[in-house]
Amino acid sequence: MDLKLTEEQRQIASSVEQLLADASDSTRMRRAAFEGEGFDAALWAQIGELGACGLHIPEAHGGLGLGVTELVLVAEQFGRRLACVPWLESAVLAGTTIKSLDDAAVAARWLPSLASGERIVAQDIGLLAGAPLAARPEGAGWRLDGVLPAVPAAMAAQWLLLPVQAQAGRLLLAVALDAPGVTRHPRANHDATRPLAEVGLKNVQIPAADCLGRGAAVDRALARSRRLTAVVLAAELVGVAQQCLDLTVAHLAQRVQFGKPLATFQALKHRCAQMMVAVELARSAALGAAREFDGGPHEGRALRLATMARCLADDAAQYCTQEAIQLHGGVGFTWEFDPHLYFKRAQATRSWLGTSSEWREHLAATLLDGAAA
Amino acid sequence: MTTDYEAFRAEIATWMQQHLRGEFEPIRNCSGLGDTGYDPKLAKRWEQELARGGWVGIGWPGEHGGRALPLSQQVVFHEEYVRAGGPGRLGHIGETLLAPTLMAFGTREQQQRFLPGILAGTEYWAQGYSEPNAGSDLANVQTRARLEGDSWVIDGQKTWTSWAHESDWIFVVARCEPGSQRHKGLVMLLVPLRQAGVTIRPIRQITGESEFNEVFFDGARTEGALHLGAPGEGWKVAMALLGFERGVSTLGQQAGFEREMQCLIDVARRNGAARDPALRQRIAQAAATLDALRCNALRVLAQDEAASGGVHVSREAYIAKYVWSNWRRDFGRLAADVLGAAACLPDDDPMAQKLRQVWLFSRSDTIYAGTNEIQLNLIAERALGMPR
Repeated sequence: MDLKLTEEQRQIASSVEQLLADASDSTRMRRAAFEGEGFDAALWAQIGELGACGLHIPEAHGGLGLGVTELVLVAEQFGRRLACVPWLESAVLAGTTIKSLDDAAVAARWLPSLASGERIVAQDIGLLAGAPLAARPEGAGWRLDGVLPAVPAAMAAQWLLLPVQAQAGRLLLAVALDAPGVTRHPRANHDATRPLAEVGLKNVQIPAADCLGRGAAVDRALARSRRLTAVVLAAELVGVAQQCLDLTVAHLAQRVQFGKPLATFQALKHRCAQMMVAVELARSAALGAAREFDGGPHEGRALRLATMARCLADDAAQYCTQEAIQLHGGVGFTWEFDPHLYFKRAQATRSWLGTSSEWREHLAATLLDGAAA
Repeated sequence: MTTDYEAFRAEIATWMQQHLRGEFEPIRNCSGLGDTGYDPKLAKRWEQELARGGWVGIGWPGEHGGRALPLSQQVVFHEEYVRAGGPGRLGHIGETLLAPTLMAFGTREQQQRFLPGILAGTEYWAQGYSEPNAGSDLANVQTRARLEGDSWVIDGQKTWTSWAHESDWIFVVARCEPGSQRHKGLVMLLVPLRQAGVTIRPIRQITGESEFNEVFFDGARTEGALHLGAPGEGWKVAMALLGFERGVSTLGQQAGFEREMQCLIDVARRNGAARDPALRQRIAQAAATLDALRCNALRVLAQDEAASGGVHVSREAYIAKYVWSNWRRDFGRLAADVLGAAACLPDDDPMAQKLRQVWLFSRSDTIYAGTNEIQLNLIAERALGMPR
């Protein structure tokens, strides 16, 4: 496995990095988070123009036809800036789910507008348990009732992908979020940079055409999408951890106590060094996992790779966000300084797509009990 | 993992199957010296067997008798070697540390004299860096070397010298300019170990075994031409040599860790530790982190290949030693916990023996080749640019 990056890959990462350094600096990110309900529509348009929403979407469907490696490189930049855009939710998660259905007609209908960023598609990942959804067959379609307590990106999105257990089996439905019977309310959220909404469904009509898949194909697509997105999410956490390290090193360099910069104290240098250790190992894991995903690993490897990327990035983000607050001293506990925003993102992310301990237990079962991956 | 090189993989697997048998059976799957049953004489014959098969120096350039295989193919070799049960390599100090340094700094005569012995598995090398007062503070080297006629005469002491008692030669960092300080006035000498002026005394380790030694030089001699690089510039050569330490050999080491991991899994399944929820979490974390170490090593190699001999050390390279050594130390603890009471109660079970060995031996991983604390200094000051 070769982990060299191509010139094109470097350019993609650096173009997003440059865009966000300006368009999602701390001031703008905070404005979008606290005054814009966590969605920066202008930035989203710029990201769409850059092609970043269609990196992994086939060229036939309006994307760039690239791979997970490119997603991972870009995700890190989004994480570093806590960019208030539903890139991970729509482009990566929903995009991969749709793509993984391997259904040409579904792909042709959904992917082009998703790849351009014109259409934002949310996907429920069951962050909080709600009342079980009821899907009643009606004609060739369904009627839906239920409450989804915390759906990522549901305010900004036009569509919601919803896995549903109907009598006839598993379904993947697309719900138009402006359909009659659909209500949406932003949820109070400590991580204001990644907004969630409560979505209520009351007798919502789903036409047969908005059923994207059925049965085993849905389970397979969801599993693939979950593993791939876990790797991309890991890269985002690497960005979170990296930014905390950068902020901390910069703070220690300029803060003078006992007549010298804090950065000269060995105890503090070692803390920063350990942050870098965590960041770089997690980055290697995310990059390695992405590269292997691009080679089309068999299912057993995919679990192992996702677990690696996910667990190490979670560790790095937990460690670095905590250390950033501590090493900033008193100002680290203020609203004004950024570490708390990253600390909250790191915590919020832990429950996405399975916790680290769930990933580890699944891996342990394959290693120790001979369970299927 | 890599889908290319199928034919090459098959070639290695077939060769290993045909040669790692018969008299070599006892060292199959041994991690290396320190493993019970790893007989150095047999290990040397195995090195020679490998050499005859053309598997030593596979990355060396053709002019030095190597096969000039690209990094990706060297990686494949290390993977297949371990998969086939290949034992830890006795010749790696010569093959992966000294040889590249000889190619970079050695004279043509030195290269012609020493590379063939390394390539054939007939000459083994030890590393003479640390001294009683020059451990983490390596620049405090006190061993002296002076030119007397056409010989260097060496006085002083080296310590923590791995496998000196099984080696033929040692490369020694010594002070050749009397009164010089720190990094200045040093020379790197190539010194025969089997001579009257050299005394090798084993050091008993916490494992109870002796893998490393004290090496005393008392008027020891080597030829006047056997300085590697210019006298006075020994520090530069010594540091360059350490740079080669993070070459492809890390993947061989990685493969050894993977074998230890498999051993731990087998023991945990056998003795019921696999049912303990906390141990299950730790085992999965260890397996995942081990995979990440491999990714990090591959990232370092990709950078090295891109830099093609440049001096730039990438961030992932700075963390490499710290991450693998701490992984292994944690793994040692995990191994002991998986063993339970058997961790402290030796028996004849080879897998349990292996895990007990790792438990104790891994305590040295975070000390040798730059302690954890030195590694963190390097990371903070060089990689993060924090002030000294």
